[in-house]
Amino acid sequence: MFLFNYAYRLKCILRNRELMFWTLMFPILLAILFNLAFSNIYSTEKFIKVNVALVQNDALTANPAFSDALSKMDDLFVVSQTTLEEADALLKENQIDGYIIFDPELKLKVNRSGLNQTIIRGFLDDFLQSSATLVTVISENPAALESGTIAGVYSRTDYLSAVSASKSSPDTTVHFFYTLIAMTCLYGGFLGVNEVIAIQANLSDVGARINTAPTNKLTVFLSSMLAATTIQLAELLLLLAFIVGVLGISFGDQLGYIALACVIGSLTGVTFGTFIAATVKKSEGIITGILIGSTMTMSFLAGMMSADIKYLVATKMPILGYLNPANLITNSFYALYYYNTPTQFFINILLLCGFTLLFSATTYFILRRQTYASL
Amino acid sequence: MMVINVKNLVKRYGDLIALDHFNLQVQEGEVLGLLGPNGSGKTTAINCILSLLKYDKGSIEIYDQPMAPDAYAIKRNIGVVMQNVAVFNELTVYENIDYFCGLYISDKQTRKKLVAEAIDFVGLNDFTKFLPKKLSGGLLRRLNIACGIAHKPKLIILDEPTVAVDPQSRNSILEGIQKLNQQGATIIYTSHYMEEVEQIASRIAIMDKGKIIAMGTNEELKRMIKSGEHINLELLNAEDLDLEAIKAIPDIISAELSDNQLVVTSSRGKNNLIVILDQLKAQHIAIGKVYSEPPTLNDVFLEITGKELRD
Repeated sequence: MFLFNYAYRLKCILRNRELMFWTLMFPILLAILFNLAFSNIYSTEKFIKVNVALVQNDALTANPAFSDALSKMDDLFVVSQTTLEEADALLKENQIDGYIIFDPELKLKVNRSGLNQTIIRGFLDDFLQSSATLVTVISENPAALESGTIAGVYSRTDYLSAVSASKSSPDTTVHFFYTLIAMTCLYGGFLGVNEVIAIQANLSDVGARINTAPTNKLTVFLSSMLAATTIQLAELLLLLAFIVGVLGISFGDQLGYIALACVIGSLTGVTFGTFIAATVKKSEGIITGILIGSTMTMSFLAGMMSADIKYLVATKMPILGYLNPANLITNSFYALYYYNTPTQFFINILLLCGFTLLFSATTYFILRRQTYASL
Repeated sequence: MMVINVKNLVKRYGDLIALDHFNLQVQEGEVLGLLGPNGSGKTTAINCILSLLKYDKGSIEIYDQPMAPDAYAIKRNIGVVMQNVAVFNELTVYENIDYFCGLYISDKQTRKKLVAEAIDFVGLNDFTKFLPKKLSGGLLRRLNIACGIAHKPKLIILDEPTVAVDPQSRNSILEGIQKLNQQGATIIYTSHYMEEVEQIASRIAIMDKGKIIAMGTNEELKRMIKSGEHINLELLNAEDLDLEAIKAIPDIISAELSDNQLVVTSSRGKNNLIVILDQLKAQHIAIGKVYSEPPTLNDVFLEITGKELRD
């Protein structure tokens, strides 16, 4: 009976187009939309090198130190060696942000003000200041040249250094994909609702027919749940494969833990649906509405629409984060991606297991009542 | 052998009493028609018998065993055809029958044979790969029946299986039920269509307000009431009729004129046709068609409750 019902429930779920859309296609579409929305998020912050022309003349030849200093700034400038006429033409056509000329003093010519022009100006000022300092030091204390203390004039010392607490570089966009996975896990609730409705005599006609048959209701329910969880897990893996393989979002490299998070997340989602369907004594439409509403609220609080909300919950009301399965699933993936130890991951997984047990036990105690007060 | 024995069943929905000390005994091999208007308690009674509904008082025995949700040995012998079509929309005709049969029969080969027989029985051979949404209302009802009877139950309960079915499919369904009975099944058939019940039931129980108010064969029930046949007369000059003179004829229970149709009901066993015709002749009333109708179950219901069966 267990396998017989399992096979038929798999067929029913796979052929239910509406169910398959919301639990598989909708998350994939959202993933594509997220990817489109976030693909340009860093392009505005990406540094583009400053185009600058250096006019070749005798004065420049007499100051080789400047050419040398400029050539060392290749991560900041793209330098073109030009004649004065060529530099003017390039500036006119906006091919360069400005040009530098020794005439005979060091000069900068630009045709507008902006960040790039300020960068060139800053470099020139720094060069001039350092040069003046060196000239002063050498003229007043030539011994400094030999003692090496003069090196401090042009060397730069960083007194702060960035140390990463994680093994991966911070990326705020992955968080949105983790909440999407969490939402998909909880959308497994649709499958849970579907299975409870199919076996409850007060919720469906087929449920009434099944209840008149000589079969153990718990056996039918457990095999239906297994079918729902199988589909949910398969859908989740497809979504993960799409996000990782097609969209290129990283989930870390701990495949065993990722699989565990998917299994527990799927179970939490499916049992959440059965819990709602078993406890809400209303029509299928109202049950579905409550499921969608609660899932979206949990995803919102987990930061799916804005990462600030997640931060707000974590700082102002942290308990809410621990009571939110969507947040726990999100944090599980987050922990795998960022942290070097699995402690945080397992805390989240244990809390999810607790929710799964709570949902399952409540559903069981309600469903085991095999007669109804009304149909 | 007693198949079903229901004693003093009481079912309340708050202040509403859906079943009021309901009693029912069904013998093996009979077709019991449970007749009553909508809301009389037929479906509630069936759901209690099937242990789907909790009840407040009374007892239910099937095959001399107390009926309970986990009475699997009893349930194995019962087939149920619900009032609403109870099939999975995602499964084909064949798969639906196979699934519901599989809840009773685990052996694959046996099930295959039974499913084929059920499909043949309801005449769905050409539609086995169809999904339910592709079937007409009549075919859907046939599928609903096939899902309920495929495992060859000894007791079949059909709860208004012909609701919203075209006349052709209805006849096919009724013939099928008679065939099942001939094959040995005991049948309980609920309906608010008296013609259906009259056609197939060997015994009829009439329900109203959660109680059985009359029970017996078709003839026994009609003998319980005092009214006899209805004489229908088409009057060509009805405006000249003295209706009171007709009503004054001895043994006439009622006389009603509607348009040009005069319907006269006499006491049971009294034939007043000649006297009525003489009276109309005396009033110089020209007569078109004349025909008589025997009393119906509606008359039985009307006389016992004072209201029409289809009210």
